[in-house]
Amino acid sequence: MALDAGPLLAIDNLRTYFYSRAKRAFIRSVDGVSLGVAHGETLGIVGESGSGKSVTALSAAGLVTAGPGVISGRIDLHSNGTRRNLLEGLENYARFTEQDGRVMAVEKDERGWRKHSDTLMAGVRGKEIAMIFQNPRSALNPYSTIGKQLVETIRLHTNFKGEREAKERAIHWLERVRIDSPGLRFDNFPFGLSGGMCQRAMIAMALSAEPSLLIADEPTTGLDATIQSRIVDLLAQLKTETGITTLLISHDISVIQRLSDRIAVMYGGTVVETGRAAEVLAPQATARHPYTAALLASIPSAETIRRKSYLQAIEGEVLDTIEVPRGCRFYGRCNRVTDAIRENCAGIEPPLAEIAPGHKVRCWLYPAAGKA
Amino acid sequence: MKFAAVKPVSRVLARELAVTALLLLGVSVVVFAILYLAPGDPLNVLLEGQSPRSELALGMREALGVPRTWYGQYAAWFGKMLQGNFGNSIRTGLPVLPELARVGVYTLTLTLGSLTLTLLIAVPIAVHAAAHGGTAGNTAATLGAYVLSAVPVFWFGYIVVYVFIHQFGMFPLISGTAAKQEHAWLYFLVPIFVLGIASGTLSEMIRHLREELSRVLAEDYIRTARAKGAPVWRHAFKEGFLIPVTEIMSAKIPFLLGGAVIVEQVFNWPGMGRMAWQAAQDRDFPVIMGIALVAAAFVRSGNLLQRVIFTAVNPRASRE
Amino acid sequence: MRRYVQTPGPIGEFSELSLAQRAGPLDLLYTGYGLLVVAVVVASYVLGAFGWLSHDPQAINVGLINAPPFTSGHLLGTDFLGRDLQARLILGIQAYFLPGLLAITISVVGGSILGILAGYKGGWFDTIITYFDNLLDSFPRLVLILLVIAAFKPDIYYVMVVVGITGMPVIANLIAGKIAFLRQKSFIEAAHALGLPAHTVVLKHILWLNCRALLVIQATLGMAEAILVETSLSYLGFGVQEPTPSWGNMVQAGANYFLQGNFWPSTAPALAILATILGLQLLGDGLNNLLEGKRRK
Repeated sequence: MALDAGPLLAIDNLRTYFYSRAKRAFIRSVDGVSLGVAHGETLGIVGESGSGKSVTALSAAGLVTAGPGVISGRIDLHSNGTRRNLLEGLENYARFTEQDGRVMAVEKDERGWRKHSDTLMAGVRGKEIAMIFQNPRSALNPYSTIGKQLVETIRLHTNFKGEREAKERAIHWLERVRIDSPGLRFDNFPFGLSGGMCQRAMIAMALSAEPSLLIADEPTTGLDATIQSRIVDLLAQLKTETGITTLLISHDISVIQRLSDRIAVMYGGTVVETGRAAEVLAPQATARHPYTAALLASIPSAETIRRKSYLQAIEGEVLDTIEVPRGCRFYGRCNRVTDAIRENCAGIEPPLAEIAPGHKVRCWLYPAAGKA
Repeated sequence: MKFAAVKPVSRVLARELAVTALLLLGVSVVVFAILYLAPGDPLNVLLEGQSPRSELALGMREALGVPRTWYGQYAAWFGKMLQGNFGNSIRTGLPVLPELARVGVYTLTLTLGSLTLTLLIAVPIAVHAAAHGGTAGNTAATLGAYVLSAVPVFWFGYIVVYVFIHQFGMFPLISGTAAKQEHAWLYFLVPIFVLGIASGTLSEMIRHLREELSRVLAEDYIRTARAKGAPVWRHAFKEGFLIPVTEIMSAKIPFLLGGAVIVEQVFNWPGMGRMAWQAAQDRDFPVIMGIALVAAAFVRSGNLLQRVIFTAVNPRASRE
Repeated sequence: MRRYVQTPGPIGEFSELSLAQRAGPLDLLYTGYGLLVVAVVVASYVLGAFGWLSHDPQAINVGLINAPPFTSGHLLGTDFLGRDLQARLILGIQAYFLPGLLAITISVVGGSILGILAGYKGGWFDTIITYFDNLLDSFPRLVLILLVIAAFKPDIYYVMVVVGITGMPVIANLIAGKIAFLRQKSFIEAAHALGLPAHTVVLKHILWLNCRALLVIQATLGMAEAILVETSLSYLGFGVQEPTPSWGNMVQAGANYFLQGNFWPSTAPALAILATILGLQLLGDGLNNLLEGKRRK
């Protein structure tokens, strides 16, 4: 199905750090993440808050503003026949020193990098990569009608430059996202629309530019449960209709499950498991990351309700990515450590190992049969 | 800025007008109270000494006399004002309101001109600081603004006057006739320059504009604008610039009017401020009362205008 | 180029930075300078009040007029009549010190009462107090003061009452805001649930524990305003009269000499005004950043 060889988006060893002045320490939000999204597929990134999934998406879109921000890595975008590194030249603006394999000091020309990044991303943001966010009501400009905001995108990024044709196009897209009376809704302000409708409008706005990649950052968070389900349906339908490549981020496994072709599980700033959706979420699978297993066990499902089994909460607290432990990041909460691997788990971070074709896990229970 | 629904907007505007009217009423009560409580009963002088004789039959006026009760006096005083009768200046004998109208223009230009100048200085500093954070440049500029805001405006005026005398060889007077014609327009600019720089409102302006713009730039919808490659300023303009600027302008008008009183002294500028000073010296309370009312009216008009702009720009405001 | 360093070793559970570490260098500078100014002013006030001056502030010495600083025993030089400027500046503080305290007392007490009524009782009180605030803000303060002067007399204490009253709205708003904030955190509910009587909740918990920094800061800024008013008024001729010095009338008296090139008699008091108002405003701002925890950048 892939038209070009290689993924549409390839993130390689991305590190995005922030800094806590109070604790004089780095917040290692994204600590060496590598991911790939193939053409036409939907990659779902799932994890708890603080796992770094949103920051990964924001880094890909060049929207990280706090310091120090992105400090290393490559993000290759392969679209329309061109391939470019969205972090090209980063090494000229950011330098870091490590101690014991851990970054302890960063020097970054933030203003310079921002300018450079904006130049790199001009023509990419909105046009090749479109992004939708959570809390759609506050993500839209409250001072402007949704119609005007849609028209702005259309005139910026498509060939429909005229005011009237852009408006027609906008209404067409409002229809496609199943907003009724699109002609009337065109003149509505965000505050006059429900959360669900705002999210549909935002999806319309993103897709109207006909981008190569859609990044959806928690698109259902902040919406009512029934509306969430409708939005997910809409995204599924649009995915079939347009075949667009999507990077989907959510902490809600049901959303991930319904929309993703492949899944990446993130914990503590790193990817701990990645593979085809069916494999990662398979209920009977034996080979999987303990965190994934725990996540799945903690969701209520029809099965568990019927069997009246207890929900299993995961012991311990989420990693705060400031105090990053030496060994495996999940070690403190893992309930499948054996004595044979304990020393490894405590002291060395496991590499991402391929346990089946296309299925990788970062866990000492499955030591590297090959390499990541 | 489309008014998608006119009716709700005019409802909100009507409410703003009503509030303004109520406040002006309150202003008149405050002024009245000061006059009422003052020793020497200035109100009586105002009420009986100033009324035109020819209007009512003499007998009826004698029967009415001056009302005894405070609300009666207030009503009489307010009634007179509504007719445009603010009394006559004790010093010159001229009717107050026409005189105020004559000199008010000078103060108006001075106030608005210096407000604009202060803005012109404050905006670049605030915008730069909001967009780029604290750099050496804008921190130094902010500190400089602090110092300027503490400079006594009258002393600063003398410095500027001195420079004028020695650079241009003339004293910037607005006596009109003494002016050298080819530099006459400069005379108007000098007091505006002085008040614009040293009015004491500069650092507040910078702070308010910077805070508001920074807050808006951190909003979700600005992130969306960036994400879709749209120019950020276009989205941040209304909430981050237009509204804060009109807010701070309207809020600082009273301060600039006060500064105008002082600057008009320094430059002998024939405006309401100098008239107020003269009136205070002479205990010429019809004049100072008139000035207080006119000044308050000016402040409230500025505020009303700002509310109108806010309502026009903010879709939520016009639909409540 | 921004540099971020993580100190090696374990990261504390709570790495509570001390006040000095949390504070930006600018805030410390502001506060330090401001406190210095306050100290100098208070000390000078005391000196002036007791008459412990190095020179007689009224002693005219025509042989030594317009002397620059450090001339034969006159630390700050002399004015156009040969009078010692240092002594006159110190004496000039008398003109605004106590009146200023009156003004800020009225503002703080009155503003607190209004703020508590508005925030605590809410409803009608809030509306009325908002109206009152807007009403007071409608007047340019100097114009209102001139009206009072014309109607009554040019008494600095009358003036400071006006200044105090016009300073109430700002404080009232801040306190009402604080109360709204505390209420949001269910703080007030909790206090009541504990059975604390209303006046204790208000005085001890709201005002003292939560608002005292705010009130100190507003008092500082209010004093700066009062000094501005007093110096402007005495410049205009409504305050203390010659030969008694006040910073404002000193600038005015030296005006002619200034325009002739003798800058110092006018400049010395002007710089004193500048330094003092600046100090108080910076102190207010610095304290605000340090105590009220406003994030910058």
